[in-house]
Amino acid sequence: MLKIFVGFVIFAALAMFVIFKGGNSLDMGGEKHGDEAIHAPAEAASGAASGASADASAAK
Amino acid sequence: MCRQKTVSLHTDSCCHSRCLGAAIKKSKETKNMATLDVDRPMSAEEKKVIFASSLGTVFEWYDFYLYGSLAAIIAKQFFSGLDEGSAFIFALLAFAAGFIVRPFGAIFFGRLGDMIGRKYTFLVTILIMGLSTFIVGILPNYASIGVAAPVILICLRLLQGLALGGEYGGAATYVAEHAPHDKRGAYTSWIQTTATLGLFLSLMVILGTRTAIGEAAFAEWGWRVPFIVSIALLAVSVYIRLSMNESPAFQKMKAEGKTSKAPLTESFGQWKNLKVVILALIGLTAGQAVVWYSGQFYALFFLTQALKVDGATANILVAVSLLIGTPFFIVFGSLSDKIGRKPIIMLGCLLAVLTYFPVFEALTKAANPDLYAAQQKNKVVVTADAAECSFQFNPTGTVKFTSSCDIAKQVLASSSVSYENAVGAAGTPATIKIGEVEIASYSSKGLPADEAKAKAAEFRKSVADALKEAGYPAKADPAKVDQVKITIILTYLVILVTMVYGPIAAMLVEMFPTRIRYTSMSLPYHIGNGWFGGLLPTTAFAIVAQTGNMYNGLWYPIIIAGMTFVIGMIFVKETKDVDIYADD
Repeated sequence: MLKIFVGFVIFAALAMFVIFKGGNSLDMGGEKHGDEAIHAPAEAASGAASGASADASAAK
Repeated sequence: MCRQKTVSLHTDSCCHSRCLGAAIKKSKETKNMATLDVDRPMSAEEKKVIFASSLGTVFEWYDFYLYGSLAAIIAKQFFSGLDEGSAFIFALLAFAAGFIVRPFGAIFFGRLGDMIGRKYTFLVTILIMGLSTFIVGILPNYASIGVAAPVILICLRLLQGLALGGEYGGAATYVAEHAPHDKRGAYTSWIQTTATLGLFLSLMVILGTRTAIGEAAFAEWGWRVPFIVSIALLAVSVYIRLSMNESPAFQKMKAEGKTSKAPLTESFGQWKNLKVVILALIGLTAGQAVVWYSGQFYALFFLTQALKVDGATANILVAVSLLIGTPFFIVFGSLSDKIGRKPIIMLGCLLAVLTYFPVFEALTKAANPDLYAAQQKNKVVVTADAAECSFQFNPTGTVKFTSSCDIAKQVLASSSVSYENAVGAAGTPATIKIGEVEIASYSSKGLPADEAKAKAAEFRKSVADALKEAGYPAKADPAKVDQVKITIILTYLVILVTMVYGPIAAMLVEMFPTRIRYTSMSLPYHIGNGWFGGLLPTTAFAIVAQTGNMYNGLWYPIIIAGMTFVIGMIFVKETKDVDIYADD
């Protein structure tokens, strides 16, 4: 159990380092479906969801 | 040695056929002994089973999330040259890859798993997933081979969805069938951590590559590296899984000639089992899925899109809360072995129903107090002909809402403005009233693309100026973002996720007999998570735009979790003490 705990702490530290470093450019929004998987957004906003793209769809 | 091992049904780990024969003979005795198997430390073989199953599932999630995390770059590489009609078709196919193929994969591989065995089936799923991901990494882009590039890419994406549909049920069943009777919750909960770990692993590899080669090279060719890396992960997973033995319960059933010849007919064609499948869906996985998606993905979306917190801060806060929350999968999985699966899952759903509104309101106060104050102070009214207003449900992202009412509501909803609806005269364009300022909306129907874009920009600017005047902030003020409070709130949401998700694998496994377990548990899991969970963002946005209240999107998870709570409490039976071999 101790090994797992130590392993998890190292993994967590690495993950946090990556996310700190990645800043705004990382997309943690998970899966992408439909139109959002096909059209590249103007800016790679994180957490973009289908709902957000609905706004843009009116302008197309 | 054999005798010692049969205590927990680990016939495979000792003497194979010799032990298997003994186990079949003494199956009833063995079951009784398994129940006495309390407080024994996890054996080396059990650790290996959990590690192999979880590692493979982590890599499978890694492959799946990689595509999501790099969607913007992939879209540029493979879809940017398509005309509008083709893009529409590809968008539908991409939607199908996520939503339709996963349950189909659950049925397809579930059937295989119940007929030929768990081990070989989830070896196939990981091979399909790993190879598909690797091929994405070496696939020529649109500029090189034209339309063949997106066609192949979508085919690979469909294969990934198929494989994911078959993976989870296999891993959960395999681990549960190796676990001692009183530790199934604890053992299977390790698999529940894999979605989070897979997400982080994909982010680590992406950023590691970007840092090593630079942004320009990453956008041009470096994005392929994380996909190609998956071949190494695949090799490790396959190597480990090949060294594993088939689940003892399946081996026993096979040796006795009791495997199902038609798992699909048995699972879904007989009411006795079909009703359990339906209950597993609406009384368990549907609620579990919306609580999961709300706590992890919708919370991030709400922070960045509704509360206008900058992406970097939101990512960090969500990541911290996920990492704090991850051990709770194991905590609640283990606790479910003591007090039952049902009380924990149902409590998670109930807490979601009761607390989502106050918790998300607290999130607003902590993340963007200026927005909260503006919402309390200023009244915004949309006046529109009701016939012009649609329910803007757009899961594929391909429908274009062009009426003046829809455009007005889209702009306000995406600006996190709560508004009231008033009925306007028939045929008149919608208007937005912010304080004393009234802005006329427009219809983009039939407008050339350039003109529509210009009109949209002009309209958005007018609304943004009026909102600014009324005190609505364009961005959350970093000095006023209370990071500690937000982290506490997000961690609470993640802990709800772990309550509903930690014990679910054990519960699903225990609801079905060995002969059709893989098929029967995989389908409700993937419909629940793929459909009820996957549709959360777009449904929530449609509700917000329709009603004019930025919190009203929460009605979707609240209603689904509420449904699961009521149906689960009334109809779903506790399974912790179920003998999963009783019907074998």
